[in-house]
Amino acid sequence: MHSVSRWLLAIAVCGFPFLRVAAQCPARPSAGTVVADPFSISSQNGVLSAQFVLARSVDGTGYTHYCYKYTAPSKVVEAPTLRLNPGDQLDLTVVNRIKDDDATTMSMPASAATTCGDGGAMTLDSTNVHFHGMNVPPKCHQDDVINTLIQPGTPGFKYNMKIPSTERPGLYWYHPHVHGFTEFQVNGGAAGALIVEGMEKVRPEVAGLTERVFVIRQQYLVPWIPGPYQLTLNYQVAQAIGGAKPIIQMKPGEKQFWRVANATLQDFMPLEVLVNGTPQPLELIALDGYPLAQTRTQTTILVPPAGRAEFIVQAPPSGASASFFTDAYSTGPTGNPDIQQTLATIALNKNADSSQMPKASGDEIRFPDPTDAAVTAERNLFFSEEFGGTNGPIQFYITVDGQKQKVFEPDEKPVIVTKVGAVEDWTVENRALETHAFHIHQIHFQVLEVDGKPVTNKDLRDTIEIPFWEGKGPFHSVKVRMDFRDPTTAGTFVFHCHILLHEDLGMMHKIEVDP
Amino acid sequence: MKRWLHSLFIRAATLIAGVLAVSGVAAGGTPYVVANDDQSTGVFSGDGVSFYAVAGNGLLTLQKQVAMGGLGIGGGFFGANRIGVLDSGKRGCVYASEAATGDIVGIVVSTLTVGGKATGSDTDAGTSNGIGLAMNDQYLYASFTDSNTIGTFSVQPGCDLAFLNDTAVAGLQGGTINGMAVHGNLLIATYTDGSIESFDITGGTPLSNGDKQYSTATRNSQDATYPNSIDITSDGHFAIFGDTSTSIVVEVSDISSGKLSKTVAYKYTASISSSNVMLSPDETLLYVANTQGDSVTALFFDKTTGKLSRGCTSNPLRGVSTNWSYLAGLALISQTGAGGGVYVAEFGSTSGIAMVRLAVSGATCSLHEATASPFAEPNSPGLLSIGNFPPRSF
Repeated sequence: MHSVSRWLLAIAVCGFPFLRVAAQCPARPSAGTVVADPFSISSQNGVLSAQFVLARSVDGTGYTHYCYKYTAPSKVVEAPTLRLNPGDQLDLTVVNRIKDDDATTMSMPASAATTCGDGGAMTLDSTNVHFHGMNVPPKCHQDDVINTLIQPGTPGFKYNMKIPSTERPGLYWYHPHVHGFTEFQVNGGAAGALIVEGMEKVRPEVAGLTERVFVIRQQYLVPWIPGPYQLTLNYQVAQAIGGAKPIIQMKPGEKQFWRVANATLQDFMPLEVLVNGTPQPLELIALDGYPLAQTRTQTTILVPPAGRAEFIVQAPPSGASASFFTDAYSTGPTGNPDIQQTLATIALNKNADSSQMPKASGDEIRFPDPTDAAVTAERNLFFSEEFGGTNGPIQFYITVDGQKQKVFEPDEKPVIVTKVGAVEDWTVENRALETHAFHIHQIHFQVLEVDGKPVTNKDLRDTIEIPFWEGKGPFHSVKVRMDFRDPTTAGTFVFHCHILLHEDLGMMHKIEVDP
Repeated sequence: MKRWLHSLFIRAATLIAGVLAVSGVAAGGTPYVVANDDQSTGVFSGDGVSFYAVAGNGLLTLQKQVAMGGLGIGGGFFGANRIGVLDSGKRGCVYASEAATGDIVGIVVSTLTVGGKATGSDTDAGTSNGIGLAMNDQYLYASFTDSNTIGTFSVQPGCDLAFLNDTAVAGLQGGTINGMAVHGNLLIATYTDGSIESFDITGGTPLSNGDKQYSTATRNSQDATYPNSIDITSDGHFAIFGDTSTSIVVEVSDISSGKLSKTVAYKYTASISSSNVMLSPDETLLYVANTQGDSVTALFFDKTTGKLSRGCTSNPLRGVSTNWSYLAGLALISQTGAGGGVYVAEFGSTSGIAMVRLAVSGATCSLHEATASPFAEPNSPGLLSIGNFPPRSF
């Protein structure tokens, strides 16, 4: 996505907001320092209760921060990791302390359906929370993003949800999801990790290893103005050209279990760990929060925007030069260039801190598997764009084949209606000259085919890349199995491209799952 | 006509056209390809119009950049042509827009100097996607793509302009004005939401003919497709729309009634997108810049029926992805016959003007990039609009 279009979006939707500083965000780590894991909050006796205050401030270099502030016993931290067990209760209060006097000029109509929370118009100052990847109901106070609005100055909004007992152990994440304005808040850093505990029960390979949690974010100086972006690793800037890089400490030869969330706006990341310039084998444990049926070894793990990868890294012996690296990725003629860069240098230190995963308990967790389920429907969808000039695409669509192309409107009717119990195979094509990232809320899908060919690894994902069309030959596509057998999927939710500008501009639609 | 005789006739016509172009007969002076440099900063040579002298063999030599004194934006809509050329009577003028500063500058071709400059109203703006131009002998029309207005200017002696008024416009879903073309008393516009509209310009100021409608390809296509640039046949019978699409899509509307009729859409999969189109002088061919397909296509056109048929597509032009990323505006190599091929603007960090020669054999054709192509455009950081002086006769 060429970034001038961001500016056009802002002109069209917002005018020029000049942000005024409201509640301050905590200071972020300095460049070239040791990367600490995010502060984490764990459930106690089956309940995790917390309050986040969403605030906004502008740092000394002009970047606008949006932060989930959490007051810990000794300090205020930003976007802590939420750690829960399957079956736990999450009680999260979100208080909106954003304030922007210009926001009244920037609004979108809210859904005409039932409102949840404070109601009113969707503005740059509105917020809500999406629990990305979680299989919780799309209901008010749980994981609804269509009707839920939390406005500034109100007492706050309570999310109360039970983590399903069948939720797979793994890395999930949370972020705002107000249509038209998601990009602004995520660009400012409003995103954090959510871990469902118990990975060692499913994948004993990780038991006892040092666990690291990395959230990679992306920030533009102003999200819609052309210019280079920065990647950050746990809020430390990774792209200081010629400057100091974040430092990940490992003991020489040590194996660590890395849990990495791609919380960027639009960066497709081929992740690697380089030792003396050579990509190292990484033992892949889980994707998008779901443990793999069998671990596999890769030297590069492609993680699309919103995707997560959990893998085992082995540090080299003393004396080697090592780094955590994202390679370049081509998103096509009309896409943004995703450049290669070092995310962190790996410092070998025999005294490096370690926070270990529990030992394997021997418990086994079984999950429903859609592989052999009877398919009740097949659908075809496609991504497309309108493109009229050098400033990039101006309209973004995801369309059910046979329906009229249209952008998402909050009060639209669902474009797909199905029911609990259905198992559907969807083929999603990309007819655009830009790579897109398909994401659906509430459920994971099983990857069956890529470009019409069956895949060897039928992974369960919630976000997947579909490469751009080269201009000749068939469109790239994925065929995925959507499993609506779980009654918690009942309700109306959305599927969309997880390039957040595309989502904000309407490359999204509703699906209704009837009880 | 027997097939071999038809072929011989075409070959002869092409040869004669080439000879005429080489001799400079059509121009009556130095023929130029002119380029709106569209500089957004002063770091190059300053914004201006670059005049390329056309040699007898069609090769281009940069003769002079005429500074315009303002700033362009280095990009924008493909279909908004930022060059207007007037060669009526003794007047030889090239007009060019500068979107950042909102100027429209008239250049006297005989002296290659600025003859005049005008701006629209205080609210006219095209800073995001440019200011397109279309004109006849009396009026110049400027499409301001931010304010969504058509500014009407009267053509003044000495290549000057005088601003007259604004007309607010919008597509059916609020789309932004994009391409424009003028023929007689008709002005036709495209909008970014896929709608098209015609205006009566008998009195100078555009008055809608009440025919605003979605193009057929926009309405029916499962691809994202919408009209971008426009050309009109010499007799005013047909308007032809070059569409932005994931394939080549060209639409034709019968405008013989003085209004737009429902377009007929033609789709070809030989390349990607067709945002810029231009008829050959004899109207037997429609040249298409495959905006994102890196190639040029020629489609056969029947000016009696308005029907298009498959023609030929060049190979990808040199330097794609390294020097440039999009193809845009077109100019003719020859002002007679089938045009002999086209020059095409290459938009990118190293902009240039490609030269693609045409060969026709019966009902088939071929397009090949000339050996000397592309010609560097050192004055432009992002070339979109080029034109011929003297212009095509219609």
